[in-house]
Amino acid sequence: MSIASLSAVTDDQVAALRQRHPGAFPGAGGILRRWWPLIAALLYLAWSMWAFDFARLLDSSERVILLLRNFVIWQDMGDWAYRQVYVGIAQTLAMAFLGTLLGTLGALVVGFLAARNVMPLAILRQAVRRVLDILRGIDQLVWGLVFVRAVGLGPLAGVLAIFVSDLGTLSKLYSEAIENIDRKQVEGVRATGAGPLGIIRYGYIPQVLPVFISQSLYFLESNTRSATILGIVGAGGVGMIIIERFRAQLYDQVAFVVLNVLILIFAIDWLSKRVRLWAIGERHDP
Amino acid sequence: MLTLDKLTRRFGDNIAVNAANLEIPDGQMVGIIGRSGAGKSTLLRLLNRLIDPSEGQILYGDTDIARLKGKELRAWRSDCAMIFQQFNLVGRLDVITNVLTGRLHDLPHWRSMAQVFTPRERAFAIQALDRLGMAHTALQRAETLSGGQQQRVAIARALAQEPRILLADEPIASLDPMNAKIVMDALRDINRQDGITVICNLHTLDTARQYCDRIIGMQDGRIVFDGTPDLLTTRMAREIYGAEADEAFNEAATSTAIPAGPARARELA
Amino acid sequence: MTDSLMMGGSAGASGGAPRDAVATFERHRAELRATKRVWNIVALGAFTICLGLSVWISQFYPDRLASGIPRIFEYFGTILPDLQWDVLFEGRTAEGRAVPGSLTFWYTDFRTYIGLLWETILMAITATLLGAGAAFLLCFPAAANLAPAGWVYWISRRFLEVCRGIPEILLALVFVFMIGIGPLAGIIAIAIHTAGALGKLFAEVNENASSRPVEGITAVGGTWAEKMAYGVVPQVAPNFFSYAMLRFEINVRASSIIGFVGAGGIGQELNRVISFYSDDRVLAVLILVVLMVTAIDLISERIRLGYIGRENFR
Repeated sequence: MSIASLSAVTDDQVAALRQRHPGAFPGAGGILRRWWPLIAALLYLAWSMWAFDFARLLDSSERVILLLRNFVIWQDMGDWAYRQVYVGIAQTLAMAFLGTLLGTLGALVVGFLAARNVMPLAILRQAVRRVLDILRGIDQLVWGLVFVRAVGLGPLAGVLAIFVSDLGTLSKLYSEAIENIDRKQVEGVRATGAGPLGIIRYGYIPQVLPVFISQSLYFLESNTRSATILGIVGAGGVGMIIIERFRAQLYDQVAFVVLNVLILIFAIDWLSKRVRLWAIGERHDP
Repeated sequence: MLTLDKLTRRFGDNIAVNAANLEIPDGQMVGIIGRSGAGKSTLLRLLNRLIDPSEGQILYGDTDIARLKGKELRAWRSDCAMIFQQFNLVGRLDVITNVLTGRLHDLPHWRSMAQVFTPRERAFAIQALDRLGMAHTALQRAETLSGGQQQRVAIARALAQEPRILLADEPIASLDPMNAKIVMDALRDINRQDGITVICNLHTLDTARQYCDRIIGMQDGRIVFDGTPDLLTTRMAREIYGAEADEAFNEAATSTAIPAGPARARELA
Repeated sequence: MTDSLMMGGSAGASGGAPRDAVATFERHRAELRATKRVWNIVALGAFTICLGLSVWISQFYPDRLASGIPRIFEYFGTILPDLQWDVLFEGRTAEGRAVPGSLTFWYTDFRTYIGLLWETILMAITATLLGAGAAFLLCFPAAANLAPAGWVYWISRRFLEVCRGIPEILLALVFVFMIGIGPLAGIIAIAIHTAGALGKLFAEVNENASSRPVEGITAVGGTWAEKMAYGVVPQVAPNFFSYAMLRFEINVRASSIIGFVGAGGIGQELNRVISFYSDDRVLAVLILVVLMVTAIDLISERIRLGYIGRENFR
């Protein structure tokens, strides 16, 4: 046999091999079959760019420049109400803390009501679950808007919004944690003749508490992030300052506040990563 | 002619390959033996430039392979095919596409990105697979094949590169004796029929003796033996392998010698 | 003989040992309890301070709460529709008026809502595709094991972090100012956030991919792009798809509220009805939004599971 090379392959050989292995020669149809998701996506994107008028991006340069200039050139920095900004940031943190705390406390009760192995009454359990689904299905920002309408502008609406949306999510997570526990320990406690509350206190709580705490800490972190924007609908915190300054066309101050918010967000990310690493390290350490 | 001139590679304080000098004429079948950690694998990877040398030269004709960069380096790699102990196929692609990746170097950019291959290229890939007796698996995913089959696909991929040199890094170390024999026979056929230089790292001595024209022994990064199989005395081999000698001479599991039966295997042990 | 003597001797000599052991144990226990108690007190103190500060800063006082909570229930009372069973399914009258108490009356603007919901879904699809495309391009240089150079890795990682760090609604606010009110601003804002979030996830998937196929493609003389396309993409594609679908579900939620700042979708209408009216329209829109989000979640889950199942059986 001579040295195999691509140029030595004759058309007859190609035809013969194609006959014997038709699947290995897909042709144009095969290329289309392989790439159709990508082609469909690109066609859709082309259509949606037309439908959503992406061309507007091209003639927005004036405003872009205006905004960028205002973002970069900061004027009358002495007159900026710094106190208000940092009170806003503190308010954001406070809202997140209170909202998560209330949500956790609520979920401690509701979680047990929604857990299959604790709540024997199926109707009540299902009802609780459906309500939780609704609480989760509506975005935190929408809750913020609703509570602003109900109790007025300010952090109280924000705390309630965080509380309600956390109640929905945490209760579900808690009830899943409760359903996944080890039955034997509960039976052990029941065997001592404990009442229903005693069973929950000594049979369930020790097993689920670590899960509960870690989930609530995680929510504290994510709520601090989302609380920064709750103010956009008027529910208190630093977001309210951003939207006020934005409406007053004080873009340099907006840039300053947004910068502060970003630093806050990155700091929270960093801190929570540290805390989690530390917590994991603690667990491995006997 | 492939010439190594004082080729050296350091990893920190550790010298993996120490001033290796070699001349390998075209068309030879070379086996490199030595215990694990002797620098066999590093030497092979240096030749394909998967690892950059610390010092020294690799000459092929007049070009210094050790200095190649970018496009020329990729051209060298496509000339100097490599097969691996763990096959290094793309498990989730079908077998024929794996073989066709051997053609990547000659493809225009858009064709390689869109995975468009001409019927001639596909026919060539099928021929390469057919030579290894693997054409019937062309449309299967590579990960569904057994180890021996995957190694044969890897050899077909190497053939698709139309290489001038074929490097094989422990090609049979993960295979059972039956498949090891098929793979080594295939490598010898490629060497004999196509005149491709084959340089092969082998863990076991009997395989090297059986298949190679020339054996190179490495110890602690140095080349300590270079000659035909009959020049390799038992004493020399024991020195090369050191503490692993018994394993290298007798271990039937990674060798191409198929044991006659369990009784014999026990006898040998 | 000597052995046994020594053993006996040692046992006799350490006759006081058990008492020592108990004492040591008690001492250790006391120390442990003391440190634990100190930590508990510190933690409790820190918690109380945080709680106090939070209550004070956000003015979360009982009297405000007491006056607020009844108003919440009052408000929820006002947004309930006044449906009457006998006319519930009445259509419009000859003059085109809907009968008060009927579903038609409650959902007078049904067509508007449906149009906006459709726009919301399209916004989410477009933003997910754009964001996933950008994430796909950036995830290879942002994977530590694949980046062609250290500085490329560093820059792509930081870029993704910034994209991910800025809340969508803030971005939308800025884009609404730049290019005007409408869905385009929302799409771009969500797409940028998606690029950051997916890019990070994709890069992590890449970092867990096997290096062997990549080495194989390197050895045949493949370029960096070919190494990615042949060595990495086939390994990671199913994971990328799942993550993109999950992100799509998140983006549907995001695009349903991004209209609060004027960036298109049902959020604009939601904002309008909540801010200007407190009647049954609020509930009408809310129900539709919840239904849409739930439906999209179910469909997307179907697609994801179907795809993964098909991948596994190939």
